[in-house]
Amino acid sequence: MNIFVCVKQVPDDYVEVHLNPTTGTPDVEGIDQVNNAFDTYAVEMAVRAVEAHGGSVTVAAIGPEKCQNGLKNLIAVGANKAVLLSDPALLDLDEAATASALASLIAKCEADQGESFDLIFCGKESTDEISAQVGAMLSETLKAPFVSSVVEVEPVEGGVKAKQETESGYAVYEMALPAVLTVAKPAYDPRYPTIKSKMAARKATIPMLTAADAGAVKQDNRVTCLGYSEPAKRQAGVRIQEKEAADAVAKAVAMMAEAKAI
Amino acid sequence: MKCLVYVETHEGKAQGGSLELLTAAAGLGEVKAVVLGSREAAEQTAAYGVDVLLAGEACCPDAATALLEHIIGEEKPQVVLMNATLAAKDLAPRLAHRLGGGCVTDAVAVEADEAHGVVFTRPAYGGTVLERLALTSAAPAFATVRSGSFAKPEQTGNGAVTEVDVAVAEDAIRARLVETVTEITEMVNLEGADIVVCGGRGMGDAQGFKLVEELADVLGGVVGATRPAIEEGWISRAHQIGQSGKMVAPKLYIACGVFGAMQHISGAMASKYIVAINKDEAASIFDVADVGIVGDVHEILPLMIEEIRKRKA
Ligand SMILES: Cc1cc2nc3c(=O)[nH]c(=O)nc-3n(C[C@H](O)[C@H](O)[C@H](O)COP(=O)(O)OP(=O)(O)OC[C@H]3O[C@@H](n4cnc5c(N)ncnc54)[C@H](O)[C@@H]3O)c2cc1C
Ligand SMILES: Nc1ncnc2c1ncn2[C@@H]1O[C@H](COP(=O)(O)O)[C@@H](O)[C@H]1O
Repeated sequence: MNIFVCVKQVPDDYVEVHLNPTTGTPDVEGIDQVNNAFDTYAVEMAVRAVEAHGGSVTVAAIGPEKCQNGLKNLIAVGANKAVLLSDPALLDLDEAATASALASLIAKCEADQGESFDLIFCGKESTDEISAQVGAMLSETLKAPFVSSVVEVEPVEGGVKAKQETESGYAVYEMALPAVLTVAKPAYDPRYPTIKSKMAARKATIPMLTAADAGAVKQDNRVTCLGYSEPAKRQAGVRIQEKEAADAVAKAVAMMAEAKAI
Repeated sequence: MKCLVYVETHEGKAQGGSLELLTAAAGLGEVKAVVLGSREAAEQTAAYGVDVLLAGEACCPDAATALLEHIIGEEKPQVVLMNATLAAKDLAPRLAHRLGGGCVTDAVAVEADEAHGVVFTRPAYGGTVLERLALTSAAPAFATVRSGSFAKPEQTGNGAVTEVDVAVAEDAIRARLVETVTEITEMVNLEGADIVVCGGRGMGDAQGFKLVEELADVLGGVVGATRPAIEEGWISRAHQIGQSGKMVAPKLYIACGVFGAMQHISGAMASKYIVAINKDEAASIFDVADVGIVGDVHEILPLMIEEIRKRKA
């Protein structure tokens, strides 16, 4: 099975993002860029599928040159190939334009390797934009079957079977290939690199393509951001630290009652 | 402005979060609703005074996409609103792609705007930032809107229910639904709860987590959980609060053995009053708590349950 995994670089989502008071835009300058968490789940799912059934995993990103580091980290945890589409003309893409550029990149990789992908994975959503749109739009561009929030995938006669997490349980779909799946948090965590795999990945060169190389034409954005604001902030309140638990509880409950919270 | 609201159904009934969108749409202009497969839901929707288009039942997401593509293509609304359920979050971008429109996920405000037609507000970066988005294409603007963002509308007499006859082409079904399994049958109304008691990994084990349920019980509240508590199997996924779970806005939110990670607390930031119990005084949850108790949940919770029981008696 040849699997193409779309990986977005996002500001480390363990760091709180606030607006820069001067520019009024999200202040992400000083925050480390990491691979979007759901995309790392997708890579782990892809690597497991390839370990079980053969094939290869290609990881791909659209973004600035420094995305190479993130892609190298994925080589260290089992991805076989990586490719970066990096072009000043492809900055600030909305979801539809991102899907369109990814479709071009997929076609380019397929032409280069002389083989098509069976599965295309995206993360369920990116942790910065949280749109959950790119995978769905990519499936439409490719006119391929689409299932979101997948937690398990396995080959069946004529295609794959995918288990989707739903609000009330799960659903199972069968489809022919190629298919586009978005990946939610499976029952397992992504593996860690070993020192050896890390060293090897550091030496890997990640091919960097321009829009022209990939045959990608920037599609006009359909969504524009007019501005940003921040929701009302919360202040830390009272800290209760007593020797006796009973005293702490009495104090806390009295405060809750006074605030009419109970 | 022409606005179409997709009213999702649950067991044949119009889903509450979808009906709230009639309020959002009324603020924009002329409103119509569309329902798939349930006359009961269509009539329920029409009772709010809107005309409803009723098409056949969709066997799977691909069929729903095809049916709605056809109807929206015919109706040509400027805006299509859907409640931000998992299913609708798949439909909206697919339809936007097919019809050439833009798409907004998880809007919390939708306003008519002189210059841009309609402007959507939505959270990004785990909820610490709000974006104001406008659509720049002539095709319909699609938006999924979070439950609880708008009040339920008034029932103002009957709109008309019109059946539309649309067939789904066989080749429209690309992913075949072979099985649907309901694991979670309990109705967990976290979004509407006045009191939420949430347990995290700090509850230790399934037995420890029972204290969270007991406290929720004496307070008449609903149980919430962090992702690790769910992954441990202490409680079902229906209780998850946060980025990948539910957004809550209770009068009282009690976090027990919860660290307060962004991905979790972003789902509870709208709570009026936050109480946190954590043995680590450096836990992030204390930064947002109105009252923070530094202590062991296994000591604190039994006493708190007792104290509240006494007060209620
Ligand atoms: C893409 C993504 C999406 C996510 N979505 C969600 C989501 O929707 N919801 C969610 O909850 N998480 C989500 N997470 C996970 C999130 O980042 C945190 O890992 C998680 O919220 C931590 O849960 P916790 O506080 O229960 O566990 P921990 O971080 O392990 O914290 C446990 C806390 O309990 C305290 N504790 C331990 N023992 C005791 C004791 N005896 N008494 C008192 N205190 C004690 C500890 O001091 C600690 O602070 C997501 C993560 C990612 C990457
Ligand atoms: N710039 C990008 N490069 C590669 N993949 C992307 C990019 N942007 C989005 N994706 C993919 O689309 C998924 C969903 O993103 P979003 O629709 O923004 O929530 C991500 O998890 C990635 O798999």
